[in-house]
Amino acid sequence: MEDNKPTFDKILNDLTHHIRINKGFLLWMGFLSVSLLICLYAYSLQLKTGLGVAGIRDYITWGIYLSNFVFFVASSLIGMLISAVLGLIGMKWITPLTRIAETIAVAFAAVAGLVIVSDMGRPERLAYVFIYGRAQSPIFWDVTVITTYFVLSLLLLFLPMIADMAIIHRKSTSLPGWLKPVYKTLSLNFTDSPEQNKIINRCIRILLILVIPAALSIHTVTSWLFAVTSRAGWDSTLFGPYFVSGAFVAGSAAVIIAMFFFRKNYKLQDYLTDLHFSNMGKVLVTVSLVYLYFNINEFLVPGYKLKRADAVHLHELLAGKDALLFWLVQTGGLLIPIILMMFKPFRKPLPIMLISVAVLIAAWIKRYLIVIPTQEHPFLPIQHVPQNFMHYSPTLIETLISIAPFILVLIIITLISKFFPVIPLHETAKEKGIEHIKFD
Amino acid sequence: MRFKKLILIIAVLTSAPAMIATAQTWVVPDDQKAVCAPIKFTQEMQKQGEQVYMKICQSCHGLPGKDNWMKLTPPPGDLAKDKAQLQTDGELYYRITTGKAPMPEFRNILSDDDRWNVIAFIRTFNPKYVQPDPSAKGSFSGRVVTLALQYSDPMKKVIATATEKLKDGSMSPAAGVEIILYVKRYFGNMQVGDMKTTNAKGEAAFEFPFDLPGNKDGYVDITAKVNDPKNLMKSTPASGSFAIGAPTDKPGLTETRAWWSTRDKTPIWLAITYTGSVLIIWGFIIYIIISILKIRKVAKA
Repeated sequence: MEDNKPTFDKILNDLTHHIRINKGFLLWMGFLSVSLLICLYAYSLQLKTGLGVAGIRDYITWGIYLSNFVFFVASSLIGMLISAVLGLIGMKWITPLTRIAETIAVAFAAVAGLVIVSDMGRPERLAYVFIYGRAQSPIFWDVTVITTYFVLSLLLLFLPMIADMAIIHRKSTSLPGWLKPVYKTLSLNFTDSPEQNKIINRCIRILLILVIPAALSIHTVTSWLFAVTSRAGWDSTLFGPYFVSGAFVAGSAAVIIAMFFFRKNYKLQDYLTDLHFSNMGKVLVTVSLVYLYFNINEFLVPGYKLKRADAVHLHELLAGKDALLFWLVQTGGLLIPIILMMFKPFRKPLPIMLISVAVLIAAWIKRYLIVIPTQEHPFLPIQHVPQNFMHYSPTLIETLISIAPFILVLIIITLISKFFPVIPLHETAKEKGIEHIKFD
Repeated sequence: MRFKKLILIIAVLTSAPAMIATAQTWVVPDDQKAVCAPIKFTQEMQKQGEQVYMKICQSCHGLPGKDNWMKLTPPPGDLAKDKAQLQTDGELYYRITTGKAPMPEFRNILSDDDRWNVIAFIRTFNPKYVQPDPSAKGSFSGRVVTLALQYSDPMKKVIATATEKLKDGSMSPAAGVEIILYVKRYFGNMQVGDMKTTNAKGEAAFEFPFDLPGNKDGYVDITAKVNDPKNLMKSTPASGSFAIGAPTDKPGLTETRAWWSTRDKTPIWLAITYTGSVLIIWGFIIYIIISILKIRKVAKA
């Protein structure tokens, strides 16, 4: 390792050469923008005509908008797992992944709030949630913790980047001119003085500790939106940890996918090595095993007792209408990935990225299966209502509106990763043995 | 898709006989056909009927004259059309009162007045309609029964007394009338004990559960109604308030601090926990933001 120690200039160049506007970026952003416009048109139809344009009706009132919401909150949790949990217990290999994880956390948390707005018939009344919110309502807690977690994640993304921006705007020759003043302002005259480092390190330490309860709260509270009702399938004391562990599965998969594309597009092979993919694979296996354990509890225990409403719900899920999706998710998104990832060849970048895509898709479908089926068989029988009140199927407009948050997340991730270093520069340089970086 | 098809097949198979059966069997007894409204329809009645119609009837029957009724089997139909308008007021009243699946019975949902108001409203869509003279309603041949309620302290029972008006106009105790006793609770009427039939004196005696919560002086509101599912009688129910419940002086459900209560009635421990957590975590966030601003200052110094 020591013989081919990279020079500082090489690291600087490797980690910042992608920071520029090129044709690929314009094409990709153009594609995202056009897609977003189409989705926004669908949303304008919903604003004009009302929520009736979606497939949600009197009985199934929470459709894919809500599945989406749970999915987005879930995916945002990964920032906390990587930076805080793995970071605080002293895992060194996570250094190049922290910013990717925080970027994903910021993007998903920011959009999760917007997803809820898509389910509102009168979005202009959003402020009423804060003005008239009741401290007794889990919905109010949810709004509070998501806002808090978003701010914490944003700070956790920003603070370690101060040093990077200070270095880059002084040293980099390739930084686009228009970005220089942005970097200069955001780097806050950082000169690596002991006093400044003391402040930053203290802030980061506080944030890393705060973000753990905040992240656990956001997904626990989101699970309570369901678990505090007595509906079969939601009426579970296990929902908090069940949701949190599921969130780590989705988030780890999202990080692996992001790592793969950053490594390829920004040529970061020297920094996001096979070891990082292999280790992330191990993380994904671990959280998947925990999630599998909660899944067994969640279905086996009510399945053993078969209380009447649970029996109807479980039958539809395990052997009835939703069985195909259910078993697809449990095997394709949980069992098979766990088995495959236990073998080293499957933890190589490409195979593990493909596995992660399967896991992430399954994670979304799982949210669908948590939110919708139970509403199709409520405690009070459904009588004398039109056919489309009894079974839920999302409409085209609804589907387009539900795609919009994904596009927004991609836009946010693209912008952050394209205009800022994906890999923490200052820390990487220090870890690679470069002691003195001149800041003036 | 396959499931939808199956539903469709079942619906067709079951609805065809149902339609035939309905067409054949929803016959209104002749004496009920002749029933007419107790008073002449007024504009006020039509207005109130419209409100009831919009709340209760419109979901299935649609707006009269617009032909936008719900597709059910048998079809509810547009009430402005001849099928409804050629019926007598008595027929409409009978059908609203008794119902026939999928049409619900409104006997216990709408008051007599509301049912007549709805008919008054429906008739506004028929320019040819002339209301029969309410004073000529003597054609009804069933029993006309009036109930009265009292509490007998020596017997410790609630007594419902039925009196009927005979053909010659005189009043006499009505024997053999089935009576159901209800007590008013939070969300509606609860039946008390079993149905009773009046004796030769026209009386039916009900045991009353004295531990039933009443108001703070122990008063409970009781109603006696005639059980007449075939609508063969004209009956007037009786209501009264009696101090026979257990005096209960509990605050209303939303008057104390509770999970389910309003915002200003948040449980104190919860208000402290929530506000405390928010203040602590946002306190740190503000501290960090101030620190970030300090980084800049430190450099300048």
